[in-house]
Amino acid sequence: MLEQLLIFTRGGLILWTCKELGSALRGSPIDTLIRSCLLEERSGLASFNYDAPGAAYTLKWTFHNELGLVFVAVYQRILHLLYVDDLLNMVKREFSEIYDPKRTIYDDFDETFRQLRMEAEARAEELRKSKQVMGKPVSNGKKQGQVNKVGFEGGNKKKSECGVARDGDDAMVKDRKMENGHSNGIHVGIKDPKGNGVVNGKENTVSNNGAFDVNKLQKLRSKGVKKTDTVADKVPKADPKKKNMKKNRVWDDSPAEAKLDFTHPADQNGDQDMHVVAAEQGQSMMDEEENVSSESEVEEDEEVERGSKADAKKGWFSSIFQSIAGKANLERADLEPALKALKDRLMTKNVAEQIAEKLCESVAASLEGKKLASFTRVSSTVQAAMEEALVRILTPRRSIDILRDVHAAKEQNRPYVVVFVGVNGVGKSTNLAKVAYWLLQHKVSVMMAACDTFRSGAVEQLRTHARRLQIPIFEKGYEKDPAVVAKEAIQEATRNGSEVVLVDTAGRMQDNEPLMRALSKLIYLNNPDLVLFVGEALVGNDAVDQLSKFNQRLADLSTSPTTRLIDGILLTKFDTIDDKVGAALSMVYVSGAPVMFVGCGQSYTDLKKLNVKSIVKTLLK
Amino acid sequence: MEGMEQWKVQVENWTNQLNQLLGQLLEQVHQVPPAQLYVAIAVLVFTVVVLLSIPLFKRKKSNTIVLTGLSGGGKTVLFYQLRDGSYHQGTVTSMEPNEGTFILRSETTKKGKIKPVHLVDVPGHSRLRPKLEEFLPQAAGLVFVVDALDFLPNCRAVSEYLYDVLTNAYVVKKKIPVLILCNKTEKVTAHTKDFIRKQMEKEIDKLRQSRSVVSAADITNDFTLGVPGAAFTFSQCQNRVTVAEASGLTGDISQVEEFIREHVKP
Ligand SMILES: Nc1nc2c(ncn2[C@@H]2O[C@H](COP(=O)(O)OP(=O)(O)OP(=O)(O)O)[C@@H](O)[C@H]2O)c(=O)[nH]1
Ligand SMILES: [Mg+2]
Repeated sequence: MLEQLLIFTRGGLILWTCKELGSALRGSPIDTLIRSCLLEERSGLASFNYDAPGAAYTLKWTFHNELGLVFVAVYQRILHLLYVDDLLNMVKREFSEIYDPKRTIYDDFDETFRQLRMEAEARAEELRKSKQVMGKPVSNGKKQGQVNKVGFEGGNKKKSECGVARDGDDAMVKDRKMENGHSNGIHVGIKDPKGNGVVNGKENTVSNNGAFDVNKLQKLRSKGVKKTDTVADKVPKADPKKKNMKKNRVWDDSPAEAKLDFTHPADQNGDQDMHVVAAEQGQSMMDEEENVSSESEVEEDEEVERGSKADAKKGWFSSIFQSIAGKANLERADLEPALKALKDRLMTKNVAEQIAEKLCESVAASLEGKKLASFTRVSSTVQAAMEEALVRILTPRRSIDILRDVHAAKEQNRPYVVVFVGVNGVGKSTNLAKVAYWLLQHKVSVMMAACDTFRSGAVEQLRTHARRLQIPIFEKGYEKDPAVVAKEAIQEATRNGSEVVLVDTAGRMQDNEPLMRALSKLIYLNNPDLVLFVGEALVGNDAVDQLSKFNQRLADLSTSPTTRLIDGILLTKFDTIDDKVGAALSMVYVSGAPVMFVGCGQSYTDLKKLNVKSIVKTLLK
Repeated sequence: MEGMEQWKVQVENWTNQLNQLLGQLLEQVHQVPPAQLYVAIAVLVFTVVVLLSIPLFKRKKSNTIVLTGLSGGGKTVLFYQLRDGSYHQGTVTSMEPNEGTFILRSETTKKGKIKPVHLVDVPGHSRLRPKLEEFLPQAAGLVFVVDALDFLPNCRAVSEYLYDVLTNAYVVKKKIPVLILCNKTEKVTAHTKDFIRKQMEKEIDKLRQSRSVVSAADITNDFTLGVPGAAFTFSQCQNRVTVAEASGLTGDISQVEEFIREHVKP
C-alpha cells in the first residue's frame, strides 16, 4: 500500500495530497527527504529510506522542473511496490495538465488519481503474472530514464514472500537492468539519530542526517555498478587510482616538511636552537580576509568558446536561432554533452569520479524539462546550475565558529575538546600545532594531549611543537590506552583551567580494524566537542573511501546510542595542489561535514579558512 | 536542415533590402539642412532620456519585503497567509524562494488604489542561505522569523544567523529596517517576545567577541555591531530593529502587516 502521495511546489507549498490514503505519516519523512537528500544534491538517486520509530518508509520522487513541482510517494519499505515510479510519472503528466500557478486547491485531482492508481496497480499485477520477459517498457513515456525505473523495486528480494510469482519478476528486472545499465542498489538510507522523527528546524541536531549512508556507497563502489542511464556512451572509466594513497611516509627524506616536521626523534636534542615562536610568526592566515572578486566576466570569453564547441555540430545558424527563440523543453539528451564536459572538467580538478557523477545526475534532475531561457546556451545553463549546486554543498550546514564554541564550553567550566583523526602521514600533528597557534593568538589557553601511543616518535614530535609554542602537553608515553590518556588529559585540563584540549591520535588506515576500534573507543569515552578529520588535499578517488569508511566504522563500532561521526574537516597541503581542489568537494559531499581549516604551508601561520567562492570558481574553471 | 538553408537564403535577402533602404535614407539626410537635423536629433535624444528615466524615478522606492529566518520558522505559511489569507494544505521545507507582488489579503476590501507589495520568502535551510544576498539590494524591509515555540534549542543558531544578517553590508549601508517576528505564539508554551529579544541580545553579545577576531572569509562581516564596551542591545544598531509577535497558523499577522505598510506605503 502506498502511504502517501504529495504534490508540492519547490517553494514548499503543498498543492495536493491523497486524502483517501489519509493515514498521517510518522515523523517527517518529507522534510527529511528535502533537507538531507534533495538539498544535498542527491536528487539523482532512485529512492530514499526514512526511519523513525514505527516507520520504515521508502520515498520516491520526480520533479517537474519547468513548473517547479515535486511529486513524492511514500510507502512502507517492506512492501516492494512495483508501480510507484510508473504512478509518479503518470501523476506528473496528468497534474501538469491542470496545474496553474495561481491555483492552490486541486480537489478535482482526487478522481484522476484514483483512476491512475488503479491503472498502475493493474499494470503491475499484469507484469507480475506474465512470466515472459518483456522487451518494451510498460508506459509510453517519452524519456526512458524515467520510465525504465519501473519495477526496480523487485530487485531487492530479501524476502521471497511471493514464491513463484516473484521469480518471473526478478527475471524481468534483471533483464531490464542489463538493458539499461541501471542498478537498483542506489538509494540513500537515513536513520534518525534522535530516535524520533520530529526534526523541524533543529538544524544542529540533525546534522548527522545528511551524512551519506556510507554503507550503500561502499556497496555501490565495490560492485562497480554505476547508474549510467543514458550517460552510457563511452564515459572514460578512470581506473581506480590508488596512486594518491600514501604508504608509510618516509619521514627523513621529505625536505619540504623540514620547517615544522619534528617527527624525527633526533629533533629531541634540537632544543637549544629551537626558539619560541608564540608571538613571532605573525598573524595566522585564518584571520586574513581573502578578497576574491566575484565578477565572472573574466570567464565570459572562455565560456563562449566552450559553448560553441558543444554545439558546433548543429551549425552556427541553428544554434543562434535556437538561443534567440529559446528552446522548447530541455531533454536529457540535450543536457548530456554539456554534463559530460562538466563531469570531465570536475574530474580533472581531482573530484572523485563517483561524486562528479552524482552531482551531474542531480543537476540533470533539476534541469530536465525546464525551458531554456532566451539568449542562453545549454552549456551555460548547466554550468550555472552546477555552480549553484556547488555553492550549496560547500556552504557549511552549521556554524563553524570554533571560538564561539570554546566560549560556550568555558561557561560550563569544561574544556573544549578537539580530536584530530586521519590516515597516516597527512600532517595531523603539524596542523594540530597550527590550530594551537591560531587559538593562542586569540588568547585561548590550549593544552595538547599526545594520544598517538602507536607510532614511535609521535609523542616527541608533539612535544617539540608544544615547547616551541610554549603550550602544556599531556603525555603518558607509549604503553597506555589512548582513550585513557585522553580522558586523563581532559581531567588535567579541567583542573588547570585550559580552555581547549587538542588530542593527537595515531594515523590509521580506514581498513585497520583494531585501530579503528581504538579510535571509536576514544571518541565514545571522551565525547569530544569536535571530531576533526585531517585529510590531504591531494587525494582523489580515495577521499571518498577514507571519509566514508571512517564514518562507517565510527557508526558501526558505536557503543552508545548516539552516533558520533566526523564533525569537520581539516584539509592539509593545500598549497601543493594548484587548481586540483576537488578533494575539498569530495570530502564535504561524502561526509556532510564542513571544511573548517585549510593547511597551506610550512609555518604556523599557514592555516586558512576555505573560501567557498574561490573553490567553486576554481572547480568550474 | 533544409529548412535552415531556406531560412539562410531568406535572411540574406532581407539584409540586402535593408542595406538598400539605408543607402536611400542616408542620401535623403544629406539633402536636409544641418540645422534642422541637429534640432531633430536633440528632440529625439531628449524624449529617449525622459522615457528611460521615468521607471528610474518610480523604482526609487522599493516595495520589496524579504522574509527570512531558520528553516521551519513558518515563513512560507506567513507568505501565503499574507497573500491568500490561508496556508492551504500546509507546507514542507522550501527549496526555492517564494515570490509575489500583490496587495495584502487584509487590504483587498479597502477602496482606492493600493500599492502592491513585492514579498519574497527566502528558504531557511543553511545550504540555501546565499540566496538571501540576492534579494537584499532591493529590500525595503526585512522580516526575520523566529520560531518562538522551539526557540531555546535553536537560540544559538538563530542568533548567529541574525548576526550575519545584521552585519551584512547591504543591511548596514542601506539601513534596512529589520523586524524580528516571534512566530507560533498561539501556543501557550511559546516564549514571549521580550524573552526572545533578551536571549538573542545576550547571544549576539558573545558572538561579537568571537566574530570580531575571526570573520568568515565568505560572509563579509565587515561591520561590527553595537557599542564597544557596552552590552549589546538591538537599539544600538544603525538600522531600526524591532520585535513583534505573530501566528502564521491562526492568521494573527497584524503586526507584520503593520511593519510592511510602514515601509511600503500603500
Ligand atoms: N504552531 C504553529 N505552527 C506553525 C506556525 N507557522 C508555521 N507553523 C508550522 O511550522 C512548520 C514550518 O513552516 P514553514 O512555513 O514551512 O517554515 P519555513 O520557515 O518556510 O521553513 P523553510 O521553508 O524550511 O525555510 C509547518 O509545519 C507549519 O505548520 C504557527 O504560527 N504556529
Ligand atoms: Mg518555506
